[in-house]
Amino acid sequence: MEKYTLPKADLPKFIKEMIGKNRVYAPVENDNVTLFKEINTPSNINLDFINSKIPPKSLLFQQTETLFKFIPGTKGKIDPPDLDDKKTVIFGIRPCDAKSFAILDHAFTGDFNDPYFINHRKNTTLVGMSCTKPGINCFCTSFNDSPAQSKYLDILLTDIGDKYYVEVTNEKGKQLAKDLKKHMQPAKESDTEKKKEIEKKAIKQITRNQKTEGITEKLDKIFENPFWKEVANKCVSCGTCTYLCPTCHCFDIQDESTLTKGARVRVWDTCMNPEYTLHASKFNPRPARTNRVRNRIYHKYNYYPKNFDIIACVGCGRCIDLCPVNIDIIDVVTKAGEVKL
Amino acid sequence: MVDEKKLQDAVKKTVSRDDVKYVVGYEKGTYGFQVTPSFAYDPKDADKFIFSPLCVYNLAVFPMLEEKPPLRKDQEPDTRKIGVVVKGCDARAIVQILQEKGLNREDVVIIGIPCTGVVDPKKLQAQFPENGKNMDIKTGKDNFIITIDEKTHTIAQDKLLDEKCKHCEYPTPILYDILIGDEIKATKKEDYKEIEDLEKKSMKEKWEYWEKQFERCIRCYACRNACPLCYCKECMVDQLSPQWVRRSVNLSENTAWNLLRAFHLAGRCIGCGQCERSCPMDIPLMQLNKKIEKEIKELFDYIAGIDPEEKPLLAMFKPDDPEEFIL
Repeated sequence: MEKYTLPKADLPKFIKEMIGKNRVYAPVENDNVTLFKEINTPSNINLDFINSKIPPKSLLFQQTETLFKFIPGTKGKIDPPDLDDKKTVIFGIRPCDAKSFAILDHAFTGDFNDPYFINHRKNTTLVGMSCTKPGINCFCTSFNDSPAQSKYLDILLTDIGDKYYVEVTNEKGKQLAKDLKKHMQPAKESDTEKKKEIEKKAIKQITRNQKTEGITEKLDKIFENPFWKEVANKCVSCGTCTYLCPTCHCFDIQDESTLTKGARVRVWDTCMNPEYTLHASKFNPRPARTNRVRNRIYHKYNYYPKNFDIIACVGCGRCIDLCPVNIDIIDVVTKAGEVKL
Repeated sequence: MVDEKKLQDAVKKTVSRDDVKYVVGYEKGTYGFQVTPSFAYDPKDADKFIFSPLCVYNLAVFPMLEEKPPLRKDQEPDTRKIGVVVKGCDARAIVQILQEKGLNREDVVIIGIPCTGVVDPKKLQAQFPENGKNMDIKTGKDNFIITIDEKTHTIAQDKLLDEKCKHCEYPTPILYDILIGDEIKATKKEDYKEIEDLEKKSMKEKWEYWEKQFERCIRCYACRNACPLCYCKECMVDQLSPQWVRRSVNLSENTAWNLLRAFHLAGRCIGCGQCERSCPMDIPLMQLNKKIEKEIKELFDYIAGIDPEEKPLLAMFKPDDPEEFIL
């Protein structure tokens, strides 16, 4: 790991340098909503944010992605997919969202390698920004993670007062840092100490905790428990929790065409929607909200850990913040652990 | 101030009835100021029921969300009633559903609460972003009294009140089986000031404004699912053959969806604001609903959800209906 410091005043130069050779996405605020958007100048960036409303998964696994285009009919033909190779930087991504990419890697590689996700992932360098003021529903610490951890990032910046503490963690980060080095100085021992102190302070501000110990095994035993009906009673089956989740990755594929041209697109899908499991025969194995809410929890805390040895939740708190009926995954999972057998 | 003890007693009495399945009301949520829908299947469940200016949800949606699974040969359908705690606006949703025969009067027990107005959770969060263990709001004489742990703050009602409550003409439920407390006389008037300001914009400005809003839509359909009046068995936007709206999330399809939703509530929306509150992307959906409501009031002198015996607007015809808008 290489460690540097970057004077705050030089951040715009640092970003400009990146924009020169890469497509750069960064948090941009519009009408009080912060989202990751492509930027052409550093002045558009808003770094005073807790987290973006839509997770940056939308940059690697787009809500609507054209898989390929075609011409329908007897003289029809298929255009090969257009995989764009442009180098991309996601600047300002939080450590929790960076972890979500490592979780998504399991879904999009392995038995079947998804060329679209893999291509975006390969070309993207993650330049993160540590969380110094976590939100009220942040709970990354429940998974032994930290709001200032560099583990899943290529480069991580931490605000340590008048400068940023910069950690370059791997080869991808080093490649990008080559051109940025001229703006940075090697970090001193005191800077490293300062970062640790800031990290501790941030961790202390996280007040909510999810009890995840033994949850995977516990869920095996309570699949049919009436607890799930209690949880799902108030669910209205909207897609907010899944669409705004940095690790939810289900999609639907559709052909959208006119008489002369068409495209096969994939769009985010949500297991909260009854249509999600509706068979062509009209049979639905998950007909009720109870089945669907339970599935979301099991996918994250049981199926995923069994398959890939990692819980598919990063503790960003988005689904809690924005659920219209206060279904709270911290509360649900903690209570599931306490259900009497 | 609503007497919570009286409310809890009414819920206990209701849920004790053999012909009642459950009562849906409000309880304290899991963090901050959150209040969440609560379900009483048993008299003791009613002990957690509350009522405060944080009780923003329109619970009339829950009878509409009841799943009716296919029955086995020897099974009888569950025809028990559902008890619903409603404010003035929420009761209008039930009245509207009754008009449309989406529910029968005997399907529900209505526990009405005369309401002096609820807060806008977004305004509240902006004013008091901190988090405490014990957070509550009470309605004072002309202010709100806010408790965060041991500290109390008072703030003018106007600063936190939900926009719809500032113009509420029906504070007391129009229809109820049990009323908690005394009726409140309507003193406010809907003036459509915000809509008139929007109407003054040029066509170009209007498009620019709405493009910016619809661009953000993620098509989670929280607006539809949280709305008690969006209860079609199959929503038009979900139909595949024919497919009216494509699944692609882009400005064109998002615009189609948002306008479709608003128009399908024409003459039916009762203005509870549940769609806008549920929207994770902060799209001002009530402006669309209110615009249509205003047009309908002006053209047909019709207000949705105030008379269960009245026919729905789109199901009646009068020979002297205005038709100058027909091209």
